[in-house]
Amino acid sequence: MAMGMPYGLQSMLKEGHKHLSGLEEAVLKNIEACKQLAQITRTSMGPNGMNKMVINHLEKLFVTNDASTITQELEVQHPAAKLLVMAAQAQQQEIGDGTNMVLSFAGELLANAESLLRDGLHPTEIADGYAKAGAKALEILDTLVVAGTQTLDVRDKAAVAQRIKGSISSKQYGYEDLLAPLIAEACIDVVPKNPHNFNVDNVRVVKINGGGLHDSRVVQGMVLKRGVEGSVSRVVDAKVAVFAQGVDTSSTETKGTVLIRSAEELEGYSRGEEDRIEDIIRKLAETGAKVVVGHQAFGEMALHFIEQYGMMAIKIPSKFDLRRFCRATGATALVKLQTPAADELGFAKQLAVQEIGGTKCIVLQQDSSMGQISTVVLRGSTDQMLDDVERAVDDGVNSYKLLGKDPRAVPAGGGSEIEIARQLLQYGRKETGLDQYAIVKYAEALEVVPRTIAENSGLSATDALAGMYSAHAAGQTAAGLDVETGEARDLGAAGILDLYTTKWWALKLASDSASTVLRIDQIIMAKMAGGPAPRKGGAADDED
Amino acid sequence: MASVRQLNPKAEVLGRGAACFMNVNAAKGLYDVMKTNLGPKGTIKMLVGGAGDIKLTKDGNVLLREMQITNPTAVMIARTAVAQDEVTGDGTTTMVILIGELMKQAERYIADGLHPRIIAEGYEIAKKDLLEFLDGFKEAIDPSDRETLRCVARTALRTKLREGLADQLTDIVVDAVMTINKADQPLDLYMVEIMHMRHKLDTDTRLIRGLVLDHGSRHPDMPKRLENCHVLNCNISLEYEKSEVNAGFFYSSAEQREKLVAAERAVVDDKVQRIIDLKKQVCADGSSFAVINQKGIDPASLDLLAKEGILALRRAKRRNAERLQLATGGFTVNSVEELSAECLGHAGLVYEHVLGEDKFTFVEDVRHPHSCTILIKGPNDYTIAQIKDAVRDGLRAVKNTIEDAAVVPGAGAFEVAAAHHLRTVTVKKVEGRTKLGIEAFAEALLGLPKILAENSGYDPQDTIIALQDEAERGGCVGLDVSSGEPADPHLSGVLDNFIVKRQILQSAPIVASQLLLVDEVLRAGMNMRRQ
Repeated sequence: MAMGMPYGLQSMLKEGHKHLSGLEEAVLKNIEACKQLAQITRTSMGPNGMNKMVINHLEKLFVTNDASTITQELEVQHPAAKLLVMAAQAQQQEIGDGTNMVLSFAGELLANAESLLRDGLHPTEIADGYAKAGAKALEILDTLVVAGTQTLDVRDKAAVAQRIKGSISSKQYGYEDLLAPLIAEACIDVVPKNPHNFNVDNVRVVKINGGGLHDSRVVQGMVLKRGVEGSVSRVVDAKVAVFAQGVDTSSTETKGTVLIRSAEELEGYSRGEEDRIEDIIRKLAETGAKVVVGHQAFGEMALHFIEQYGMMAIKIPSKFDLRRFCRATGATALVKLQTPAADELGFAKQLAVQEIGGTKCIVLQQDSSMGQISTVVLRGSTDQMLDDVERAVDDGVNSYKLLGKDPRAVPAGGGSEIEIARQLLQYGRKETGLDQYAIVKYAEALEVVPRTIAENSGLSATDALAGMYSAHAAGQTAAGLDVETGEARDLGAAGILDLYTTKWWALKLASDSASTVLRIDQIIMAKMAGGPAPRKGGAADDED
Repeated sequence: MASVRQLNPKAEVLGRGAACFMNVNAAKGLYDVMKTNLGPKGTIKMLVGGAGDIKLTKDGNVLLREMQITNPTAVMIARTAVAQDEVTGDGTTTMVILIGELMKQAERYIADGLHPRIIAEGYEIAKKDLLEFLDGFKEAIDPSDRETLRCVARTALRTKLREGLADQLTDIVVDAVMTINKADQPLDLYMVEIMHMRHKLDTDTRLIRGLVLDHGSRHPDMPKRLENCHVLNCNISLEYEKSEVNAGFFYSSAEQREKLVAAERAVVDDKVQRIIDLKKQVCADGSSFAVINQKGIDPASLDLLAKEGILALRRAKRRNAERLQLATGGFTVNSVEELSAECLGHAGLVYEHVLGEDKFTFVEDVRHPHSCTILIKGPNDYTIAQIKDAVRDGLRAVKNTIEDAAVVPGAGAFEVAAAHHLRTVTVKKVEGRTKLGIEAFAEALLGLPKILAENSGYDPQDTIIALQDEAERGGCVGLDVSSGEPADPHLSGVLDNFIVKRQILQSAPIVASQLLLVDEVLRAGMNMRRQ
């Protein structure tokens, strides 16, 4: 009989469901998946990390060693591995850097948990131990803060460049000396009085093909990758009028019909229309404005008069770019085509069309005193390379933001990890319960960072680790791995430091996600839905 | 059997023994899945939806809702459990387990040849007697005592979340309910807004005495932070509304059209002007002004408001408008004619928080908070969903306690005492084979503390014997999950809702009896057979 004698959950669920439970089926399989994921990203860690070539579902090619991009484009399916990806994304959102550490460390924690599970420990016991070790690790991290890094003048270009170098060198090794000063300059241009309120969005990146990375530069102001509408292509010390709609004849909300009875009326109508536009543009010119910026299309008639009055016409179709332009010039975007009041006009020091490598760009150059937006113009040979450098710049800008909030730094090059591991081992051995095994494993998992850096640099990981442990035992608690020589030395002296906040979040998120994966003992999977992927819900109210 | 076959040759029939076997098995199957969830040491289940979305849960209710169960018996049990959640907000896992246990115990006797009817009768008597016993067992409390409410909330939350987080949420949940609790008015939990932000860590979840709206102003020049703020809560459309009829205009010159454009604006501008006039009237003393509108505000109106330094939010949700009224005072205005200083609410601080693409507006420091917001934070969606479900249950638990003005000691204390009562008192009231039904019920009740012990890593048999011994000596005794020893639940503050227990006792035996009394399962329909 078809309905049979059901037993167990499987038979009770809708067809196509998968139900996995228990240690073998759920926990170990999950760990395996997470290990695989960590394996992929691990080789990209550190200054000598390898690049990955990822082609996503839209056939777009990425060449990168940025873990968050890799995981995002990989579209991980396995539910447990997805948990790690979510942790990495949280890190990307909160910090914007250190995603690879989250993935590698969480993967290593789970790999170590596997051996404990084989020894017969219960997953929740391991999870508890990891939670305990995680809390202790953060305590230890507090004590590792390098003296003298608690304060930082966020307007000192050299000091800032030095501090963000670490984060860039892990993405674009070899270019950090070039990029760090650029990023520092761009950030310092726009930092408000209170560095806490630094907005990452105010540092823009424009990628223009051609030239080399050495041709990159910083513009105090904005660079728009498009030409002007009219023929005026350069103004200096100009007043700017910004309209949040098209510059054209007005229209009614209700449907209107032009009722014309005779040829005279037709002529009169066109004439009236022209007069009206001219009137508006003339008044605009009388306010002293030399630049007209519109959000939508310029009417032909309007453009004609703008030309006639010798003004520059720029169309900015992106709402966000328009807002930034307003911020950069201090203008108020007008919602009606009217004559702007004096305080609604903005000011541009210099606005000119430049040709950079065959691309026409409108470059807005402001004095440093009025700069609210700065732009890094990146030059490079290929799109992929530019994309990758852009990600490095983003990481650098994010680091700057964090520096403004909390400038504390910890030893880099695996130095902090080894020190935490060393102290955790001592702590774990003093524990009496079953926790001690998990704590010791947690400490061992921390070694993944220096080991991977060494492996990726072609050094012997075992030698490097041994060297570091002995340096730390000898009291050099800040000793990190020098990827050039393979020796343990204090990298802080060379100015390579990691941010405390980045490490804190990475440790926290990795421990949490590893614990969560361990605590899952059953997975119930619904049949994969067919059809297109569900639309990403966006705010419905986004037009204005 | 054969008769059905004649009526419909495609029909499937399960005869007596097989029908009973199927029902018992289905109940046991569900029981096996849910059992690891029970108690503070239960494990987490991972649910993967059709689109690959992940949900982690320990909550029986969530699990039953998300699993797509097709087995008819299992569906029946699941529905009872979901109904339990709707009535009381908690106890779904317990419900499924008790039904499973009742079926399991009955199966033993049925296998010995006892008629299911006798067992059902025994269950019925036991149920009646237990409900009376429960009335005597419950402990009256003072509903305004914060400590008791905290104990109940903590007990409920710890079964859904990890301990540290649960303890933190306990205070949030209790404070939230106490904020909205107005003497001699029924509690309306909808006055607690639950808002989530994907940001920071789960431990950053907090209670806001005020309101958090999940949208921000739509104009870049509007103020981001206002102090000492008048809040206008209105439902006035501040954008051009099309007329119902299909109307059009004829014009013959550009001036005429300009006039039309101006006239179209004038209607809306007039409304905005009245709001601005009110602002100028009340803000003469330097205070600020915010407009929260349920209808739309068009860019031109936003611009006018922004020029006056007014923060305006458009398309606020209706439920929030209701809460806003309670939080800030004042009342909702539906037309500009009603505008007056009296209808304004007041908030000490209104500010905007931007999180990536999403904007949030916080209305805080309000005068008479009768509505509040629990702001859930977490690094990812599944954490947020987990906390959300737990908070909902926690709120219900506190509400139940206030309404019942009574609690029941938890940690299996009631089950052990009730089993003892059945075996010593109830069983003497009846004659003959019905005693067996009562015996089965008592054994089934003990299943709960057994699972509690098992999930916490202790030997269920040892534990249950220790508990029974203690109970015989009298007094109230439950299981301490951290030591595995019998302990008084009052000391550790493990208290359950009275209504939860009562609801379980009422529904579980009924469903179990009904399922036991099924003697034939007929499956006769075109699409009943699996293709």
